This record gives sequence, C-alpha cells and structure tokens, in this order.
Amino acid sequence: MASESVSPGSAAEDGRDWLWWLDGKLAGVCVASLLVVVAGGLVQVSFGAYTMSIVEAWQAVFNPDVLFNADAWRAFLLGGEVPEMNRRSLIVWNIRLPRVFVAALVGMNLAVSGAIFQAITRNELASPFILGVSSGAGLMILLVLVVFSGVTLVIPYVFGTLVLGVSSLLPVIASLGGIGAFLIVYVIAWKNGTSPIRLVLAGVIVGTVFQSLQTGLFFFADDLGVVQSAIAWTTGSLTGTDWEQVRMAAPWTVLAMVLALVSARQLNVLLLGESTAKALGMSVEKVRFALSGVAVLAAAASIAVAGIVGFVGLIVPHMVRNVVGSDYKKLVVGCAFTGPALMVAADVGARLALNPVQIPVGIVTGLVGGPYFLYLMRKQQTMGEI
Amino acid sequence: MNDDYVTENWNETETEREPETRTDGGESVAVAPETRQRSGESPGGPDGPGRSGESERSGCEFAGEELVIGYSSGEEPVIDGETLRVEPGEVTALVGPNGSGKSTLLKGLADQLSIRNGRVLLDGDDVYSLSAKELAKRLGLLSQENVSPNSIPVEKLVEHGRYPHRGFFDSLTDEDREAIDRAISLAGVDHLRDREVGSLSGGQKQLVWIAMVLAQETDVLLLDEPTTFLDLHHQLEVMEIVETLRDESDITVVVVLHDIDQAARYADHMVALKDGSIRAQGAPDEIVTEELLADVFEIEAVVEPTAYGPQITPLHPLHDEHSHGSDTPRPGDGS
Repeated sequence: MASESVSPGSAAEDGRDWLWWLDGKLAGVCVASLLVVVAGGLVQVSFGAYTMSIVEAWQAVFNPDVLFNADAWRAFLLGGEVPEMNRRSLIVWNIRLPRVFVAALVGMNLAVSGAIFQAITRNELASPFILGVSSGAGLMILLVLVVFSGVTLVIPYVFGTLVLGVSSLLPVIASLGGIGAFLIVYVIAWKNGTSPIRLVLAGVIVGTVFQSLQTGLFFFADDLGVVQSAIAWTTGSLTGTDWEQVRMAAPWTVLAMVLALVSARQLNVLLLGESTAKALGMSVEKVRFALSGVAVLAAAASIAVAGIVGFVGLIVPHMVRNVVGSDYKKLVVGCAFTGPALMVAADVGARLALNPVQIPVGIVTGLVGGPYFLYLMRKQQTMGEI
Repeated sequence: MNDDYVTENWNETETEREPETRTDGGESVAVAPETRQRSGESPGGPDGPGRSGESERSGCEFAGEELVIGYSSGEEPVIDGETLRVEPGEVTALVGPNGSGKSTLLKGLADQLSIRNGRVLLDGDDVYSLSAKELAKRLGLLSQENVSPNSIPVEKLVEHGRYPHRGFFDSLTDEDREAIDRAISLAGVDHLRDREVGSLSGGQKQLVWIAMVLAQETDVLLLDEPTTFLDLHHQLEVMEIVETLRDESDITVVVVLHDIDQAARYADHMVALKDGSIRAQGAPDEIVTEELLADVFEIEAVVEPTAYGPQITPLHPLHDEHSHGSDTPRPGDGS
C-alpha cells in the first residue's frame, strides 16, 4: 500500500530528474542576475571617455557587421588582427565590452570557488582565499613588481630566443603564487589526513606570514607607480582589461564550472560531515583535495585577470543559499549567475562613480559587501552554519 | 507491507542457518541462536509488524579479532586486544558506562578509526582491504551525532544513502529509487518525505537518518546510541525498526545502547564493556545480573526476569571500595 502511494511520486521523479534546474527560485535568481549583467553591461558600454549617446552605443553593440562577423569573433576569442569596423564599434567591442566579460568571468569564478570552500570547511564564512591563495598571490605580485621588475626571462626558442619581461608574466606568476600557497597550507595541515579546522588554521598561519612579507615589500617600492600598481593588483582591478584577459580566463572558467557542477553531489555529501561522508563510502581526503583544487583553479583564474577581488566569493554563495537552499547543484548554478551580476554591477561603480578616475573594483565590492553582511547578520539568527 | 518489503529484498540469500561451531580461543562471544527466540515466546511481546518466525535466514558474518583501537598513536589504546563476534542476522547490543569504549569499538569496526592491531572480518573479507565504497555497500554506520543543512528535504537526505552504489556521474537508477522508498517506509517517515530536515523534531530527524543508512542496503548495520536524547515514543520507534530488521531481514545489527533495560529487551546478544575490555557477553537473561551491574556499571540494582527480558531497578551507586570486591580487578588498581 505504501509503495503504491509512493510510486506515483517516484514516477514523477523520473521525469523531474533532469529538470531539477527548473526550480522556480533558482530560475528567478538566474533571470534576475542576467538582467543585472545586461543592464550593467549596457551602462558600461554607453559611458566613458569617448562620448557617444546611449542609442549610438547600443547600435554599436548590436552592430550586425561585428555580431555576425566570424573574423571579428576569431580575433576576439583566439587573438589576432581585429577586422575593420567603425570607430564606435571598435571602442565598444574592443574596449568596453571585454571588460564586462572579464568582470562576469571573475565573478563566476570567485562565487563558485567560495561556494566550494564553504562546503569543504563546512563554514559559511569561508572565502576563495581562506586557504592562503590571496596571500600567496599577493606576495608574488609584490615580489615581481618590486624586487624582480627589471628581470627578463630568456627562453631559448626554435628560431632565436624569446625574451619576456617578468612583469608581463605577472598574471601567471600571481596565480601560481596562489596555488603554491594553497599547497603549502595543505602540507602544513596534513597529519595522517586533515580536517576542516586544521586547513583553516594552516590557512591563517600561511596568510599571516605571507601578508607580513607582502607589507614589508611595500617599503622597498621606490616610486608611486609601482605602489599604485601593486595596490590595484592586491585589491583587484579590471582597469585596462580586454579580450586578452577574456581569452586567458575563459577556458579555466569553463573547466572549473563543469568540474564544480559534476562534483555537486560530492559537495552535498561533504556537508553531512566527515564521518558520515566516510561511512557512506567517500574517500574524504581525496575528494576534499580534488575539490579544493577546483576551487583554487577558479580563484587563480580570476586572480590572473583581475588581481585579488575580495568579498565576492564570500557573499555571493550566501545570497544564493538564502534563496535556493543548500543543495549544491542549485547553489553552483545560482553562483555562476549571481557572481557575474555582482561583479559587473560593482565594476560599473568602480569605473564610472568617480569618472574620470577609476578605482579598483575590489574597493567597491568591499563597500557593497560589508553592509550586506551586516544586514545578514542582523536578519539571521544562525550565521556561520551551512 | 513491511513483510513484502523485507522478504522481497533482503531474504534473497535464504540458506540454512549454519550450526554454530566455534573453536577459537580467547574471548569469543558466540551465543547459540536458540537462546533468544523472544519473538515467538514473549507473551505480551510487542506485536511487531508481521513476525516471520518461519524465515530461516543467515546474515552476514561479522567479527572483530584481537582488536587494538586508540585515538592518537602516542596514547594508550582504548580497546586493547578484544575479540568480538556478532551473531549473523541478529541484534547485538554493546553496553557499558560512559567512557567504556563502546563507541570506540564501533568506530573501529566501521573503519572510522584505524585499528592498530587485529582485524575486522566481513564475511571473511578484511574490512581494511576493502575500498571505502565497497565497504559502504556492505556495512552501514549511523554516528551518534549527525549534521545536515537545515534546508535539505528528507527525501534528498535519504537519497545520500545511495552514495556508495552510484558512480561519479550516475544519476539515480530505478533500483536506487526503490531502495529509497523501502527505507523511507521502513523507517516510517513517509509523511515527512517532502519536509525540510531543519523543521523536524530531534526524534523525527533520527528516524530520517536511520532511513538514510537503511537506503544504503548493507549486510551489517552499526548504530551508535540511536536512542540517546530521544523521547520515549521515538526511542520505541527506533527500537521497533531494529526489531523489524532482526525479524524480517538478514541484516546483522550492532547497536550501542546507553539504556541497559532497552538492550536487555531488544537485543539477542549483549556485550558489556568496561574500561575498554569486554567483561561479559551472551544472551541478555544470562548476562544481565546483579553482579555484572555492580562490576560494570558500579551500581547496586535488582534484576527481575520479565516477559520482556530482565528488568533492572537501579538502587544506588557503588563506590570504589565495593568494586574492589569483584573478581575482576581493574587494571591499575595496584592494591
């Protein structure tokens, strides 16, 4: 009898299985986020140093000569010569739009990375940078800008040699610094396996030491330009980003998103606590390390193009969780939409609020994020629990 | 309903119960299965759903041999060289005072704590040689304290019980869904299916967690104090599930119980621990005695046999002078 009353439900479940994302709340979050991204993007392309009317800007965005031009897309996505187009289209498509795309990719990476770390540490206050990633990246940024700024790498090449200034490799070096710090944190935390609390403590230890070194290096910076550049990198900035940054971040973003989505069930089981996860047959240490790797990859990809943008990875998973609940399938999808929305909106402020001066977007995310967190703290009784 | 549930799915391996032949030395804890056929004879016995006295079942052989278990490598082991064999297909209760090593023993058996010496055998296979997933398909463990996100629906939580049966990319199969339905109806949480776990009472949550380990469909089920902190109604609900598993399935159940009365009533077989060593094991009416209560629990109590197994009326705590008189001096007594 019970089984009969149950079977219609499970039959419906069959059909529902691949339609899980058609959840009303999740769809609402995604649509609202998309609207914010589109609105923010249109504002970004409409205003700037080169004045054009909003209508002109929008015409440039929807210029069919660019939109349906395979050569143009090849140039944007694979690099190479941008084909002829009118001046407005060039400015919109080559300068203003790519910045919106970079903002979206960064927001996506940080939000999903934060969501993963919150499951791994079972703590809602975890961020993508909790395991030392930001301090490692920051230290490497300062080292490159202050200590090794004049150093060039000479790489023997098939025809002659390739000479690279270390500064031009800054994005890659910063990401590698972040990944390196994460590995150090893991080694420190490891003692017959690890645990969320050991990982967080090791992250604090490594973060403190690297942060001190980084601050110390500021004393050796001899001109203001270097200091400003260092601050832009360590607070996160999208100034001057174009298609090259899109090309740099996009493949890693896609990879990280796919991995995060297929790992959603592992994340859900991790939320049940280590002993339950183990009793259910999960190799907790392996899964935890692999998932940390995915999250660090996403964080490193965003560091490479935008520096260390704070607060997005902390707040977005929070906002999404408040609406769709803690199921990671929904949470990851929601974060992949809401992260870009927050980041694009914040970058509007960073670029246009004090026009013509641009401020690092990380400052805006902090200014928006702090009060939102305060609001959450006032509203919710149980902060910090997933 | 419950009869169908079990006979269809858990009695697939019906074979004759092997006669107990135990020739090993040491503290082997075999008890002849006949010693405790309460299901048939207890007159007022709870009319559990559909007793199937005729079912001849043989559960999974499960045993721990010469176990040495401890937490960190520097310290003295909590369990030092104990051998435990549980009756296949029956219910074995581990009892003992706080800190006696019941939970430690259970965690060692479930490979949650790595044992320093000895081995745990599951149908002849060394538990430690099995992969985490292989083990989780055959042995389920419900920890004493469980945490879950508040917003997870009951059905989704139970679904996690299928984790060991699913590959990395697999979605739920029909078999998984049937197992989930069976577990939910056996645990009696059908009406809670769509509720969020955070909105349930402590007792309801425990039933849902039990549904989750049942969905794992293992041969052996280890339950760590499943009734502690529950109200009487939910304690009985939990113990009736255990009873149903014993009566209608092949599942071998090992349960840590805080309440010795409850253990005496529901278990086929009891193991009493104190200070990490097994002090007594056997059928409840054999081992629940006033002497054992004085030795293991350090209480003076009256034990009366009833239809529901021995009933204990605790009188007062005994202090150390009294326990010295017992025939098993505690390690470190020195006197």
